[in-house]
Amino acid sequence: MKKINILILGFMTLFVMSCGDEFLSPLPESSIVTDTYFSTDAELEAGIIAIYDAIQGQNSTSTTASRGVINEYYVTEMRSDNTQTKSSEGEAAEFESYTITANNGIIADYYRSFYKVIFRANTVLESLDVATDANRTAYEAEAKFTRAYAYFNLVRLYGDIPLVSSTISPADTDIQYTRVATTQVYDLIVSDLETAIAGLTLTNRNRGSKAAAQGLLAKVHLTLGNYTQAQVLCESIISSGNFDLAADFTELFYTEANAETIFSIGYTTGLTADSQFFSAEWMNAVGRTSGVNYVTQDAVDVLEALGGSRVVESYRIDPFQTQFFQVIKYLPNGEDGGANGKTFVQDAALSGNDWIVLRFADVLLMHVEAIMGGSGSTSNSNAIASFKRVRDRAGLPTPAVITSQELLDERRVELAFENQRFFDLVRFGQAQSVLSTFASANGLSFSSSDLLLPIPQYEINLSNGLLTQNPIN
Amino acid sequence: MNLKAKLVCMLVLFFSISVMSQDEFVLEGVVTSQSDNQPIPGANVVVVNTTNGTSTDFDGKFSITVSNEDVLEFSSLGYVKQLVIVNGQTSLNVSLEVDASQLDEVVVIGYGTQKKSHLTGSISKVVNEKLDQIAVSRIDDALVGQVSGVNIQATEGEAGSAPTITIRGFGSINGASGPAIVVDGVVVDSDYLGNLDMNDVQSFEILKDAASAAIYGAEGANGVIMITTKEGKEGETRFSYNTYIGFKTARQSDAYKFSMADHARNEAAWNIANGTTGLIDNLSEDTRYKLLIGVDQDWQDIIFDGGTITSHSIAARGGNSKTKYSTSLKYLHDEGVLLTDDFKSYSLKLKLDTQASKKFKVGLSITPSYSLQKRFDGSTHDILRQSPWLPLYHTDHTIQFVDRANFPDVQVGDYAVQTHFNNYALLPGDTNADVDISSTSNTNPGAKVLERDRLYHKYKLLSSVYGKYDFNDNLTLTSRFSASIQKTNQSRWQGLLAHKDAASRAFLRLENQTRTKLINDNYLTYNKEFGKNEVTATAGITLQSLNTKFDRQTGIGYTSDAIQDLSAATSISTWDSYKVERNKIGMFARVNFAHDDKYLATVSLRRDGSSVFGSKTKYGYFPAASIGWNIHKEDFLSNSDVISKLKFRASYGFTGADIFNTSGPLVDNYAYLALLNQVTATVDGTTATGFAAINIANPDLQWERSGEFNPAIEFGLFNNKISGSIDYYKRTSDKLLLDNPISSTTGFTSALVNRGEVVNSGWEFELRTKNVSNENFSWSSTFIGSLNENELTSFADSNGQIQSVDSKRASEWINLEGNPISSFYGWVVDRDIPLENLNDPFRLAGLEAQDVYVKDLNGDGLIDDEDKTILGDPYPEFVWSVTNQFKLGNIDASFMFQGSHGAEVRNMGDQYLFNQFNSGADFNTTSTPDQQFIKAKIFTDDIIQDASYVALRNVNIGYTFSDDLISKLNVSKLRIYFSGQNLMYLTADNYTGLNPESINNTSPTTYGYQRAGSPVFSTVSFGLNLDF
Repeated sequence: MKKINILILGFMTLFVMSCGDEFLSPLPESSIVTDTYFSTDAELEAGIIAIYDAIQGQNSTSTTASRGVINEYYVTEMRSDNTQTKSSEGEAAEFESYTITANNGIIADYYRSFYKVIFRANTVLESLDVATDANRTAYEAEAKFTRAYAYFNLVRLYGDIPLVSSTISPADTDIQYTRVATTQVYDLIVSDLETAIAGLTLTNRNRGSKAAAQGLLAKVHLTLGNYTQAQVLCESIISSGNFDLAADFTELFYTEANAETIFSIGYTTGLTADSQFFSAEWMNAVGRTSGVNYVTQDAVDVLEALGGSRVVESYRIDPFQTQFFQVIKYLPNGEDGGANGKTFVQDAALSGNDWIVLRFADVLLMHVEAIMGGSGSTSNSNAIASFKRVRDRAGLPTPAVITSQELLDERRVELAFENQRFFDLVRFGQAQSVLSTFASANGLSFSSSDLLLPIPQYEINLSNGLLTQNPIN
Repeated sequence: MNLKAKLVCMLVLFFSISVMSQDEFVLEGVVTSQSDNQPIPGANVVVVNTTNGTSTDFDGKFSITVSNEDVLEFSSLGYVKQLVIVNGQTSLNVSLEVDASQLDEVVVIGYGTQKKSHLTGSISKVVNEKLDQIAVSRIDDALVGQVSGVNIQATEGEAGSAPTITIRGFGSINGASGPAIVVDGVVVDSDYLGNLDMNDVQSFEILKDAASAAIYGAEGANGVIMITTKEGKEGETRFSYNTYIGFKTARQSDAYKFSMADHARNEAAWNIANGTTGLIDNLSEDTRYKLLIGVDQDWQDIIFDGGTITSHSIAARGGNSKTKYSTSLKYLHDEGVLLTDDFKSYSLKLKLDTQASKKFKVGLSITPSYSLQKRFDGSTHDILRQSPWLPLYHTDHTIQFVDRANFPDVQVGDYAVQTHFNNYALLPGDTNADVDISSTSNTNPGAKVLERDRLYHKYKLLSSVYGKYDFNDNLTLTSRFSASIQKTNQSRWQGLLAHKDAASRAFLRLENQTRTKLINDNYLTYNKEFGKNEVTATAGITLQSLNTKFDRQTGIGYTSDAIQDLSAATSISTWDSYKVERNKIGMFARVNFAHDDKYLATVSLRRDGSSVFGSKTKYGYFPAASIGWNIHKEDFLSNSDVISKLKFRASYGFTGADIFNTSGPLVDNYAYLALLNQVTATVDGTTATGFAAINIANPDLQWERSGEFNPAIEFGLFNNKISGSIDYYKRTSDKLLLDNPISSTTGFTSALVNRGEVVNSGWEFELRTKNVSNENFSWSSTFIGSLNENELTSFADSNGQIQSVDSKRASEWINLEGNPISSFYGWVVDRDIPLENLNDPFRLAGLEAQDVYVKDLNGDGLIDDEDKTILGDPYPEFVWSVTNQFKLGNIDASFMFQGSHGAEVRNMGDQYLFNQFNSGADFNTTSTPDQQFIKAKIFTDDIIQDASYVALRNVNIGYTFSDDLISKLNVSKLRIYFSGQNLMYLTADNYTGLNPESINNTSPTTYGYQRAGSPVFSTVSFGLNLDF
């Protein structure tokens, strides 16, 4: 008996010695370990889908979530003269009052969201060697398209930013906290988009296509003042014949497979993982706020004056509180909310409206802008023709000479509440004057330092003094 | 003995039995202890050389059938055996002498037992005497105030919800702060505390210092609570039935009572004082209308509806000299004091031990249990802040005010909603219907709770078998296999009427979790005395494997409440699942040494391997050493009349932790690996699947470690009439597993590292006195006190981080080195804004401004972040209890007062209930002076309140029926009692909330956030103990 027990003990000890490491190293079944993944085309493709997942953002209340493009209206539209909060509450109200602090959670959210897009794009770019020759170019093109899209947003919002062109570790603090001049960032954007245009073959509206890359690069060139390149790119899209204006905004915003949308971010109704909640936020206390991205009186006035048939498809009086105005371009799943504007059949916080990043009307107006080329006006027939297509749809006449102001106004009413206004004002060199006037009319003040968002304080704190802040006043 | 001789003996025996049976009679008596005249329960009374035997009951009484010539043997652990010849006596009182050699109580330590007098670590033992008579739904709730150094706080307060247990303070940031739970040697999840039956618990042993807990290595970082369940005893089967029924009432907050009558009175007084003209009855239209609706209710009365708690437990225990068994059945139902909370618990237990052969003992234990908890699915603050004029349901009276243009279908009996009362023509004939009194479009606050159903079904099966083989008198091998299987099915239904957005927000979420934990322990114990030296050595191996499977689905698009099932959903909005595995191998060895019972020493070492860490850091070593000196055994004290016990002990040891809660179960279980998770994106209307990285792998990640130094003195005076102990401890927890913030340019916002250090230090006191002790009356007292100080000594890149719980109401916490883990942060209140500067001083709460003047701490003439400071912390500094026990004849009584001091809470209840969060200024912006010094109260110490309390925690008064009656009833014991919990509960003057112990967000870095929460409740209960 004694011997047997000692044998058993001995056996146990042997087992622990021999099988211990295996017993103590189980591999997860619900996850994939990176070293063993990204080895085939299908897996690289999955890596690319993950980039769009990051742009799409998380439909989440968590303070640490990355909401991606869902929250973009805060940092763009609500800093312009187009929209504001309903009740001036909390950090959301810092945008309209030009008092954004470095601790604002929304600016940190946008920053981390788009660096996450860049990280996922870099992950794909670093694994390209496993792709088959047939697909490698397309994968590279698509990853670079998304990376350029992310950098173009970040550089316009934050100015000089850290340039991460490969995956980095927490130890690479030099890269994380060194702000690179915008020109260098634009160099990468232009080069990425040129690679994208050469290599993209897809035609999906929710993924990078050649036209999407061309349109994006056209806007980059307009921003940089390279009007000729922008004109060529716009004409290439126009002459491709693949796109046309939708009949009206109802078709454009509520029939997602339309001829006008060139690039949009896809969402699906009712899926927590793939839906958006900005549509709910823009209603009266249907989302988590009491109402944000409410239309300013200033925007209402301009729309009423210049919008033509677009007016009734752009904003409405809040049925619940009639002194306020709401955006109706992205009504939750197309539902109007009934008599009080608040009653929906499907959960508005799980909305499926795609977010349009680039549409044909924008390209037509960029075409006009490119031809105008920084001068005050144009009567070029090609410019007039493009302008006319947009005006015709709105049921408005087209002037023989288009002034820069008319183009800016046209962009404002055509692309109202589509996160274009702030960037348009900056690109047209009008941000300072227009927003100063708008601010003082509302008892607020706008200064040149408000043209850029603060770098999130979170990053500044971690950088131990390496990362410098934008001027704040 | 040859066969013939045996036969003769048997014949003699047979005849003698038949002869004896002629004159059998019943002998009754009481067995007491010679030292203190107290009865000895459970003493064995056996007729020598027969199987005829019994044991004494709770009061030391016995009755046995004997005959004249019988010799009775009385024995009990710790006493000298006594033989008495019956010799015609029909009643017999026996007084047993204390056996000096066996005086020692035995204490359960990890993987073994030890004489209490030989302990060198800090281990507290609590014997279940009356704990099972405290009318609470969980066994941990009953331990409040029983042990020094152990803080049990009812942070949630719903029926069946787990309290937060900390032993000697919070030692981890992301790890578990609760102790390990060991039931009869099996390490189980702390959730088992909600399913075990207190009636079945023999004792708790709490390993407090690291040296004692080090034998559990990776389990022991926060101490260990060891639970020993009752065993059968040799003798006849004894049944015991214990039951009680208790009535629970919530303690309401006076500050949170709002009434329309008060409001109207204040408003009228204000209008008269200010000479406001043009009003009817000096009241605004709104107020007059609200009074007309005729409802004036305190929402506390509705949601704190009280409840009853009932418990039934029946057990049968017995056995013979070889086999002992214990089996029991429990049912407990706690209705809770909140409107919808409810907890039912059922459990069954069988424990069987048998001496299979002289050297081999086997046993098994099996405990299936089921509990059903219904939660209060809402937040009390949200309901309590509702207007007193709003009824729960429409009545014949209230229906006449409904705005029929907008709400044509509302009927009597429907939930009343504020907007129903809009557009009312207050004046007769007033066609311009214009009185709008709604301040919210939300649904009725009661509907939010009543139309939701949140259930936790928990099925647990804890089973184990063991074998114990004695190689010889000194060496024993123990081997145990145990399996604990836990299945939790959680469902959360939100009905159509629960939300203002009605059907679009109705959903059903189902979550299923299965945890299977398999453990195999094998250890050798060697025990030998060499002259005056006694050595006990233990060495063994433990293998543990824990598998967790989880899945969750959410169904949306319900069009009716009729079928609350996924099948009735229009679509599924969320589905996810995971499966994780966590394995551990522990090897341990310990040597206890005692010389002459005077000089004591223990050394131990545990080596743990964990699957959570990478190959370089998989194994952790946790050594411990401790010494003790029984000074009273020295010659110079052994004859002292004053000092009967004096012991010094000191320990130093290390424990570890590999459990942490950071970025979800995958990362927390496989942190050393780089992991990819499935993600999805919508591409042109279809869902496309992708894979994305979810963590930055850290192959060097390793164990959290705690090292603790614990010197102590134990003493006894005047034959231990006064006894006690004083412990000092200092525990340094370092290499903390932190989810350290990193630049988001990496694509992540945090990465796991071993950085950070927390120090907990403190004192513990226990004092027990036997004030009076004689046959008719006894009185004893116990005082227990614990002082703890918590300090964050290193917090890596998070040092000084300011955190908030809710971005909309962003009151702040700071985690700053040199202070406790969490401190409240903000501005300091200077003075109130004068009433005359307020725009509307008589809003509902009355006289409560949203804003306040704050102090310019740095004197630079403006208020900014530089003027913020630490405003307090949520950790109690001093926790104590005083228990007095009395016994007078058949009546016994005990009273426990318990208190906690030094903790603060951020009472967001005030902020919500006193409407302190409107963003706009509520003061007159032209007339109010020094506006640059005004800040919203939420960012100040205005709502930092003292969470101290003193409670009459437990009262128990019992009456044991005398022998005459119980013998007629043919039972061995009958006792009835009255028990009360929290019959008195005092809070600090500035505390306005419902429960100073309630904490909504138990995240360690934002600890102390209270949002109304669940109220303190008192329980009055009546119970019965019956043995037969």
